[in-house]
Amino acid sequence: MNETGPLPVAQKGDNHRKRVRILKLLRPALGVVVLLFILFRMYQVLVVQHEFGPDTWTRLLISGLIIGAVYALIAIGYTLVYGILFMINFAHGEVMMFGAYAGLFAFQAFGAIKISSEPPTSFLNAYPVIAIILAFLIGMSISATLGYFLEKIAYRPLRKAPRLVPLISAIGASIFLQNAAQLLFSPQLRDVTNPEILKRGEGWKILINGSNVVISYTGVFTFVLSVLLLIGLYIIVQKTKLGRAMRAVALDKNTAALMGIDVNRTISRTFIISGALAGAAGVMWGLHNGLVYYFVGFIPGIKAFTAAVLGGIGNLPGAMVGGLFLGIIESMGPAALGIDFQLKDVLAFVILIFVLTFRPSGLLGEVLAEEKV
Amino acid sequence: MKALIRQAVRTGFTFGIVNIFFVLIGFNTLIGILLAKLSGIKQPGIIPAPKFLIIYTLLIGLWVGFSAIAKKNELEFGKKVLISGLAGLTTGFLAGLLNAVLAFLLINKVNARDFLTVLSFDFIKGTLFGLPPVSGILMTVVYFTLASLVGGTILALLNLKPVKNAWNATKFFIRSEVDKIQTVTQGKNRLLWQILAISLVAVIVVILPLKWGSYWNYVFGTVGLYVILGLGLNIIVGLSGQLVLGYIAFFAIGAYSMALLNSPVPHNLMWGFWPALVLGVVLAALSGLLLGLPLMRLRGDYLAIVTLGFGEIIRILLKSDLLTKFTGGPRGIQNISGPTLFGKPFASDIDFMFLIIGGVLLAVFVYSRLQHSRTGRAWLSIREDELVARASGVNTVTYKLLALAIGAAFAGLAGGIYASRNQFTGPDEHALMASINVLSLIIVGGMGNIPGTLLGAFALKGLPEILREFANFRLLAFGALLVFMMLSRPEGLIPSRRPKYQLPKDPDKIDSGKEAKND
Repeated sequence: MNETGPLPVAQKGDNHRKRVRILKLLRPALGVVVLLFILFRMYQVLVVQHEFGPDTWTRLLISGLIIGAVYALIAIGYTLVYGILFMINFAHGEVMMFGAYAGLFAFQAFGAIKISSEPPTSFLNAYPVIAIILAFLIGMSISATLGYFLEKIAYRPLRKAPRLVPLISAIGASIFLQNAAQLLFSPQLRDVTNPEILKRGEGWKILINGSNVVISYTGVFTFVLSVLLLIGLYIIVQKTKLGRAMRAVALDKNTAALMGIDVNRTISRTFIISGALAGAAGVMWGLHNGLVYYFVGFIPGIKAFTAAVLGGIGNLPGAMVGGLFLGIIESMGPAALGIDFQLKDVLAFVILIFVLTFRPSGLLGEVLAEEKV
Repeated sequence: MKALIRQAVRTGFTFGIVNIFFVLIGFNTLIGILLAKLSGIKQPGIIPAPKFLIIYTLLIGLWVGFSAIAKKNELEFGKKVLISGLAGLTTGFLAGLLNAVLAFLLINKVNARDFLTVLSFDFIKGTLFGLPPVSGILMTVVYFTLASLVGGTILALLNLKPVKNAWNATKFFIRSEVDKIQTVTQGKNRLLWQILAISLVAVIVVILPLKWGSYWNYVFGTVGLYVILGLGLNIIVGLSGQLVLGYIAFFAIGAYSMALLNSPVPHNLMWGFWPALVLGVVLAALSGLLLGLPLMRLRGDYLAIVTLGFGEIIRILLKSDLLTKFTGGPRGIQNISGPTLFGKPFASDIDFMFLIIGGVLLAVFVYSRLQHSRTGRAWLSIREDELVARASGVNTVTYKLLALAIGAAFAGLAGGIYASRNQFTGPDEHALMASINVLSLIIVGGMGNIPGTLLGAFALKGLPEILREFANFRLLAFGALLVFMMLSRPEGLIPSRRPKYQLPKDPDKIDSGKEAKND
């Protein structure tokens, strides 16, 4: 027994090593094949068929940038929470949805308040700047409150539980919030009343290649406001005391607590910030796309998570870059690859799978220890 | 005392918020209508008579009273009553505030239905118990306080010594009787008892489908399919510990194989039921393998989100124009022909029920054989700690892929039967919600064991059919249930029992054991 023992074991190890080597080669090989295929396809569509002119590409790029900015804003929420608690806040899209509803109702209410009867003007159109600011404040505070209570009720008691448990709790919270919205606000699709100066579909017109490309006011507004909020968040995280506390808690909760940081309060505030950003994203979604319903947060939520993973989860600039990148790929990708625009969601998910397969740490993420992945 | 008062107010406040939420989603009217139905009174509209809304208020009030003094056994009787009253008053105050706002809307004829869909004027009148505004608001406060006082008093009385002693005695009696039965069944004649139990179950299983109507066969058929799905997902999540969220994609593959091979419309192949079923199972298992191959490095949340993406990809592809010619597009596939056995076609629900029962038995058999085998132990070790499992010589990649393939095969089986039974399958049947349903049923029932899966499937798929009035509230309750389960009982209703290595109580035996090993 003892004499014959080592030999087969060693052989088995060799086989195993060989197999592992083959597997390791398989992955890059697959990547190269896919890349070549994509390049071939792009060559075919862009050079051989030459279906779209520069005007279409500009249009697609603009819509991609706008949607990407919103994704970035939502993705920040995922990344902040993931950085601190190592959990996917599955209900984040629903937090955004409640923000969208708050914005919708705020605009509707402002539109209903009459200021003068001759000519008939509502508060919304008489003081549009104030109305927009108020609507954003309402949306952001509703979402921030929701985020705070979400953490307090559904996540805080589970902080020490195995990782599957808070994730399932988050899924439950997501289902709950979706259906609560359906029961509270009815399942119908609602139109947002925009103020006159931010009418949907209107904008500056540029003549490219003989056709008008519209840069919509709402789109520019959404993009600029998102970038401003992202810069604001970056300053909060990098320069303020709260931001330092957040980074410390993300690194090590116990040590942070020993340094006199109130861990619970920091986590609560993280949820408040990410909720507020999601709320702003929701109000913008309403302004730009115009439709709000109880399912509105689901797809943007998943996409924003994809964006966060794409940029490297837990990494703030990564989430911003990932969001813009995903937005652009989603709007230009189907045209570039010559596939149906219905399949843009498929494209987003395929990108997610490829990023996680070939570079799980994301575009900008550092390589995490296995424990964290 | 101050702390007690603060706690009571906080309890009351929480319930007040919950009550406001209930009112705004129209839960109070739902309860009222149910009560009216139970008492046999026909309701003309959708708003029940005021007395039923009063009963709803009293029930919530009782609940406030119970929870205000729960876990406060050491307090004196008087204080308990006081606290419950205080909590009820707080809740009543909040409810009164809500009613004041509603009454304001009613008086000024403001239509708030644009914002909150339940707030019709009839509804507001009902919430004020059909009284004039001021007395309606006052009565709300009074009802909540009174009911809470009563609830608190009842609980306080129950906690008094004689009552408690009597309760304990009953509990002890019941437990000793149960123990007696257990010792009888676990004793010498254990095998006999097991055979008896199994044959009892078998008789029930054979007789019930014949006696039920087609509706109940349909409902319990669905429960059975979900049992198969649950067992399959249990292999992936419960045993090997990989969180897969797009599980329904495998179900879709099974269903579509059955549909495409047995329906006249897109291809008119008509292979027959059994070959299509086998092919569906094989295809599902293969797709599980293919999905698993690139993802073996991922775990936990990442795996969850990628598989979610996979599920969505399958659904969107099935729905897209690209594959309409091949899969029927958003309209799905109709007129799928049913199975035949020895030349006799499956015509009735009863036949399908037996088919599903057969499937369930097969799934249970495979699952239970796998669970305690070498493979099952390897899965458990991977679930507990992948690094340690690898270090102990478990080939983690192979076993994880195996789990995915077998779990997917279960889903393919369920999908094939499902499509054949409904004679229809479409892309929207395979949405993310269905995956989450399956995941929830194994979590609620208890991860990683068969009785838990059976219970979970019944609780999540059977109960909602029985409680049809709650249809709109089902998913809401479902989400709340998931969170609640995770907070209070993350291991599920029936937790998995693990084989434990127990030391004998007698220390001499340990020594003798050591000696035996040394020999």
